[in-house]
Amino acid sequence: MNKTTLNMLLLTLALLAAQAVVFNNLVLFGVAVPMVFIYAIVAQPVTLGTNWSVTLGFLIGLAADVFADTYGVNAVSCTLLAFVRKPVFHLYVQRDEDPGDQLSNMRVMGVPAFMKYAATMVLIYCTVECIVEAFGVYHILRMLVRILASTVYTLLIIYALDSLSLRRKRSN
Amino acid sequence: MREIFDFFVRNSKWLVFVFWMTAGCFLLFTRNPYQQSVYLTSAGRVAGTVYDATGQVTSYFNLRSANDDLNKRNAALQGEVIALREKLQSLGEVSGTYADSTAPFPALAHYEFITARVINNSVARPYNYITINKGTRDGVKPEMGVIDQNGVVGMVNVVSEGHARVLSLLNPHFRLSCKIKGNDSFGSLYWDGSSPRTAVLEELPRHTHFKVGDTVVTSGYSAVFPEGIPVGTVAGHKNNPHENFFTLNVNLFGDFARLGNVQVVVNNHADEIRKLDEENARTEGKVNIP
Repeated sequence: MNKTTLNMLLLTLALLAAQAVVFNNLVLFGVAVPMVFIYAIVAQPVTLGTNWSVTLGFLIGLAADVFADTYGVNAVSCTLLAFVRKPVFHLYVQRDEDPGDQLSNMRVMGVPAFMKYAATMVLIYCTVECIVEAFGVYHILRMLVRILASTVYTLLIIYALDSLSLRRKRSN
Repeated sequence: MREIFDFFVRNSKWLVFVFWMTAGCFLLFTRNPYQQSVYLTSAGRVAGTVYDATGQVTSYFNLRSANDDLNKRNAALQGEVIALREKLQSLGEVSGTYADSTAPFPALAHYEFITARVINNSVARPYNYITINKGTRDGVKPEMGVIDQNGVVGMVNVVSEGHARVLSLLNPHFRLSCKIKGNDSFGSLYWDGSSPRTAVLEELPRHTHFKVGDTVVTSGYSAVFPEGIPVGTVAGHKNNPHENFFTLNVNLFGDFARLGNVQVVVNNHADEIRKLDEENARTEGKVNIP
């Protein structure tokens, strides 16, 4: 097991635990839910095969579902997110600039590229998650507010978390 | 043969994606609130243990407000006790021994309560659930009611040995038979997902008299809740002149974002009532009245 794989597994476990214990309780104004655990999918190295990424995505989503009693909502959304990860990544990073098998973060991709990539991923996730979860409960306006509020909130926390990787780079 | 193999290898990412999406959709669409595997809920062993550990820390956070609520409730109950005592006394004066042999709340006589602590709770999702730290070991069973000092909280849904998951009142799957206090017509209360502080009481007969601010309580027409447990107050009604029923907006008493200690309602006659209901369903249509 190489260093990146180990880092990725530890990051995934830590994020899932933090999501269950902390972030699920940090709902703002009853609409903005921080979905921070998806950073475990966003940060996967771009060289990770889609098959592995999608399988891991499903398992991460399922674990989040068990803790939040959401039955397959996160599993479906995470599977889809993991599937579109590579195409979204290459919207902002050219194929010949691929960072290899390192985690996808600000240190490796640079701040602007990472933020655009993360914002797209978070928006996709929050949109899919809200639509799937509200299936049968129709409050379009509330759903739109929830998607936007959750996206901004999640992105801010992901930015804060990822800044740790920048600080590590500076201190090296 | 080789071509088929090549086809699968070439399209493996689509196949894996479709496979996991199907598995996810299977979970999603078998979302039946009454029959679910305990392993896939927050009452499962791993999630339950994690929430137990965090619950021990967070249970101290809202003690001040819980105390305030309890004090208010205590004052209200004391007032009620005094009023009832006076009433009993006046009845005793009128009819001699009758009042002494009558329990103040005959409807509550066959209910017991199990105290539990909320270890996980959500209010912002379209379908909300609560996890409590009591399970089959303590006598908790599915379809038992859950209340707190403010009134109705929900109904037990999935139970493991040490934990139970409760269908919150803030879950559209949960419908509660309610009536307006001092009135015998009843309707069905459910959460429409708009705000964690309000719910909707529908199918209330049109001849029912009520005004804004009236208290909504449980009707007692089920084996789950005793009659008269407070739920909320009437906030207004959506009137459709062509319908025979009222649909009311109800401000809920329960502060679902700050649930701490709750009581699980044990109805000692629940099995008997359920057996009768089953018997009724079985013999329905078979009885011929000469």
